Amino acid sequence: MGDDPFDLVACLERVRQRDQKASRQLVEHLYPLVIRIVRSHLPRRVAEEDLAQDIFLKMFTRIAQYQGNVPFPHWVSRIAVTTCIDQLRAQKRRPEFRWADLSENEAEVLDNVLTDSRDTTPGDALAARELVHKLLDQLKPDDRLVIQLLDLEQRTIAEISAQTGWNQTLVKVRAFRARRKLQKLFQELQTKEKS
Amino acid sequence: MNQFDQQWRKLTSLARQAEDARGSSAPYGFSTRVVAHAAGMPLNSLSIPFENFAFRGLLVAAVCGMAAIAFDYATFVTSTQTDAYVAADMVGDLLDLS
Repeated sequence: MGDDPFDLVACLERVRQRDQKASRQLVEHLYPLVIRIVRSHLPRRVAEEDLAQDIFLKMFTRIAQYQGNVPFPHWVSRIAVTTCIDQLRAQKRRPEFRWADLSENEAEVLDNVLTDSRDTTPGDALAARELVHKLLDQLKPDDRLVIQLLDLEQRTIAEISAQTGWNQTLVKVRAFRARRKLQKLFQELQTKEKS
Repeated sequence: MNQFDQQWRKLTSLARQAEDARGSSAPYGFSTRVVAHAAGMPLNSLSIPFENFAFRGLLVAAVCGMAAIAFDYATFVTSTQTDAYVAADMVGDLLDLS
């Protein structure tokens, strides 16, 4: 994007006039935002680039409907979030979570967390991230999104509400439901580990 | 805070420490490909919600039609038979005319 500040308003105006160069600039400007959302909520077996492409195509298709009530990046991130949720819903079946599905590092991290046996090292972070995503795969797409934003991205309830379009009570209900499900998963894993 | 909350917090705080080494700029040719795809699509899609409504409306109409036939099958059959009788009469009338 260079040193020049990106003039989003002017770019949008040119995009509406079907200026291809402006459209390419808009995609390149918004790509980091979109890819961050895609990577956070990427469904299994879906290539991140394909999903990002779908999101941008939806953005171009609906751009005439953008009224400017919210900042354009917020509007695009809402499209990105709903597209990811639709993809997650399309997967339907979630595989059963078993201790045997975990890699050696993931199992070790989980064991440390469950038994609280020792402090984890920074080297365990990658395994922990993979493990968290496997656990989140067990949740319903909407619940997963709330936990992802709340606990991993540390967003506030108000921010999640703005990004998803769900009211704050609904966000809280989904967070509560998701945590209860995760707690049940943890208990099952502890039982399996002991047996 | 219960035991699970502590465990979950510990796990997520550890997961947050993992750095994402993947780049966040668009891959070469990505924007060109997306814009080329988008160029083949209609820019103004105000009709899309109406298309969705129309499709749902069609489904609802089909269900209503089936339900109406199911609940009033006897009348439907009688009506069909009457129509057939009338049609037969019309042919008879035509033959009489000739």
